[in-house]
Amino acid sequence: MKKIIIACLALLPLAAQEIKLPPNLEKLADKAREVVDVTMDGPLLQLAARFLSDRDPDEARVKKLVAGLKSIYVRSFEFESRGEYQESDLDALRNQLKSPGWSRIVGVKSKKDGENAEVYLKSENGGITGLAVIAAEPKELTVVNIVGSIQPEDLRDLGGRFGIPKVDLGKKEKKEDE
Amino acid sequence: MRRLPVALMLCGVIGSAADREFRDVVDSISNRVHARPLHIPMFGLVNFVAAVARPAGTKHIDLAVWEDLDWRSGDTRDMAESIRASVGGSWKPFVHSRSAQEVVSIYARPEGSDWRLLVVSVERHEATVVQLQLNPDALQRWITLPREYAFGHRRVKSTTRDLDP
Repeated sequence: MKKIIIACLALLPLAAQEIKLPPNLEKLADKAREVVDVTMDGPLLQLAARFLSDRDPDEARVKKLVAGLKSIYVRSFEFESRGEYQESDLDALRNQLKSPGWSRIVGVKSKKDGENAEVYLKSENGGITGLAVIAAEPKELTVVNIVGSIQPEDLRDLGGRFGIPKVDLGKKEKKEDE
Repeated sequence: MRRLPVALMLCGVIGSAADREFRDVVDSISNRVHARPLHIPMFGLVNFVAAVARPAGTKHIDLAVWEDLDWRSGDTRDMAESIRASVGGSWKPFVHSRSAQEVVSIYARPEGSDWRLLVVSVERHEATVVQLQLNPDALQRWITLPREYAFGHRRVKSTTRDLDP
């Protein structure tokens, strides 16, 4: 019994870094034209790292940062037309990301093309242990949760791989209206 | 010396479990679409070719195909749940995609130095279940671009048909 309790306690910090999609966001799946989930953890992630080249500087960088990750989870909703989801649909998720340890580091709102992006970091014992991205476009909504040791700038290297969308934070920081 | 029979027995157990899980998924889809998969003549030869030539890093293929379906009764959410329920717990969910017309689910699991991928695709008029035993190089192509490979899954089916005499 003691072993089970210890095992559960050991898993607690990991569980705390993972975000759970709230039921109202799950319901968006019914309205969406397409829903895609990509889950990569443990052995799959290790395997991915194994095949990245040490010679190619880009791949070597990704390989190094993937080695510090525990899991990558991506959920993407694509809608037929604008207005099929509301800003308020994201409130429950945002509230979850207001819990202790999480902090929002980037908030981008583009009034022109309606593309919004938010990046949240989970810190623990002085280190970053998780990252979440909410990328909202008029007809597309993507939630990314990365668990493990990661820096916000690493998103640039991970974008376009493992189902993670490209998030160009450098360019949009200028537009930030926060 | 004793290890060899034990290893062979274990391989048999793992293999038969994988076959049973494949059949479970096939049965689950058959029940939902009220149709049995097509009979593919001499499919054993495909696996013989795969075992020898290992096209695209594939060592073994199990395939079930349904065509000319008229599946309109259930929604794709129910189908996705049904697939999820019929896949054994040893499989890791990798990619799931669902639209009003189609469900695609990909599961992966390590098996010795290889990996097994289970790709399930159900559309209104056709469905495919493919179980592949891949070497890690082949799997790596799926990992780096999971979405692209999920939607390109039909290539697996067409490649298999090309091999079918």
